[in-house]
Amino acid sequence: MLKLFNQVGGSLMEFFSQAGDFTVISTRAIRAILKRPFDFENLMRQFVAVGVNSIPVVLLTGVAVSMVFAVQLAFGFKQFQAQGLASSVEGLAVVRELAPVITGLMMSGRIGSAMAAELGTMQVTEQIDALECLATDPIHYLFVPRLLAALVMLPLLTGLAIYVGYWGGYLILVNVEGQSAYTFASEFYKLIGTRDLRIALTKAMVFGLIIALVGCWRGYRTRGGAEGVGNAPTSSVVTSSLWILVTDFFLTKLMLV
Amino acid sequence: MSSVIEVANVSKAFGPKVVLKNVNIEVEQGESLVIMGGSGTGKTVLLRIIMGLLAPDSGQITIDGKVIQEISIPELFEVRKQIGMCFQMAALFDSMSVFENVAFALKRHTKMTQKEIAVRVDECLAMVGLRGSDKLKPSELSGGMKRRVGFARAIALKPKILLFDEPTTGLDPVMTDVIGRIILDLKHELGVTSITITHDLKSAFMIADRVALIFQGECLAIEKPEAFKVNPNPVIQQFLRGDAEGPFLQDPPPPKRTRQEANL
Ligand SMILES: Nc1ncnc2c1ncn2[C@@H]1O[C@H](COP(=O)(O)OP(=O)(O)O)[C@@H](O)[C@H]1O
Ligand SMILES: [Mg+2]
Repeated sequence: MLKLFNQVGGSLMEFFSQAGDFTVISTRAIRAILKRPFDFENLMRQFVAVGVNSIPVVLLTGVAVSMVFAVQLAFGFKQFQAQGLASSVEGLAVVRELAPVITGLMMSGRIGSAMAAELGTMQVTEQIDALECLATDPIHYLFVPRLLAALVMLPLLTGLAIYVGYWGGYLILVNVEGQSAYTFASEFYKLIGTRDLRIALTKAMVFGLIIALVGCWRGYRTRGGAEGVGNAPTSSVVTSSLWILVTDFFLTKLMLV
Repeated sequence: MSSVIEVANVSKAFGPKVVLKNVNIEVEQGESLVIMGGSGTGKTVLLRIIMGLLAPDSGQITIDGKVIQEISIPELFEVRKQIGMCFQMAALFDSMSVFENVAFALKRHTKMTQKEIAVRVDECLAMVGLRGSDKLKPSELSGGMKRRVGFARAIALKPKILLFDEPTTGLDPVMTDVIGRIILDLKHELGVTSITITHDLKSAFMIADRVALIFQGECLAIEKPEAFKVNPNPVIQQFLRGDAEGPFLQDPPPPKRTRQEANL
């Protein structure tokens, strides 16, 4: 019994010390954004890695998810002879939830894990120590470009997901279910306003923040050789996906009032 | 006293494992100190503490009059600009070419133009005998070349202090001699203060102004090479002979056989 207590206490302490460490490092990273020297070259490289190279993934998942959702909606609303509503609800769901959350989850798998693996490898091969010895703050040099890239690219990719989501819905509801193209176009935007787009993009930015900070932090704190490098991406994906879903709930609650 | 590096009463343990016990070392301006010691005795840990990468459990490091455990992070980075560190495994940035590795600190910490940087990188690479390899990636280099690129990267900013962590371990005898000469060259050309960790007695006595031996976390001797060679301490004598018999090892070594005996 006492042993169980000890174990629970130990894990709890471990959790709080990790959370504390994450907070300290994240604060340092965010404050480092404004510090000189500004590394334009590195930032561009991250824009390409995070943004441009993610376009195919976002295109495919965006279309696939909105199509399958449209099929379900069409089927569901047909039960009530309310097929017309399908387009409006599709629009609501894609813009407010599906596009930002699916993009966030996909990106945590694609770029968050890559950040963790890259920084983890640099940590265990002493490249991060080498940075320190060359009088370069690794938090500034490594975290800031990745953080900025994620903050800018996640909203853009979410915008892309909304755009292809529209056409995914169109494909199902107009071409398969036989609604008129005109009705679909006007109904899709019926329940949403600019406010919803703002919600979507805010969510995307917060998800970008989570993905980059968790990925970089996991990599930076990698210990223990090849095994440590193997664990860093996995644990970064699990942690950031979890936080994406949790913050999604609270952001939705907060911003809809 | 004009000591540039002062290690005062430094102790460090990892959990129950005591690595350094009350180590005191002073290195003077322009001096070359060689630290020897068995594998796993905490030589790398000592260098990492000097660089401020690890915090000691007690004691302090003073570099150029600044106590590095007490100064702020920006001040620490200022001190580090004066120090060139060569890692045991070179620790080159593997996503960058040799040129970018050597130019790294120049790009970040100086206002030099592209052209001036190219000239300085060429100078540094020439000093370690690698002129013309600037476009290669670290993965295309041999172990010795990596070390030498690591040297070039460390000297790019013309540091006043150089720290070498086992620069010759794992290299053939000829390359070992080359590295020893490079270190001597750097000392003559830049007048740097240096600490070199090595197991190689020949290059140690070639480059050392003073020699120290770390044994079981303690600094046994710190003295001129001539005095070190005749130090009566049995541990030092055993280390110099390179013999398994003696107080150096905690566990007794395997029995000594002659070759004929082993071939029986
Ligand atoms: N970060 C660390 N965590 C735990 N133990 C460490 C760490 N770094 C070094 N050690 C231990 O300290 C001892 C000395 O290591 P090191 O200084 O690398 O030896 P060497 O003299 O061969 O360079 C080793 O036994 C090693 O296990
Ligand atoms: Mg070592």
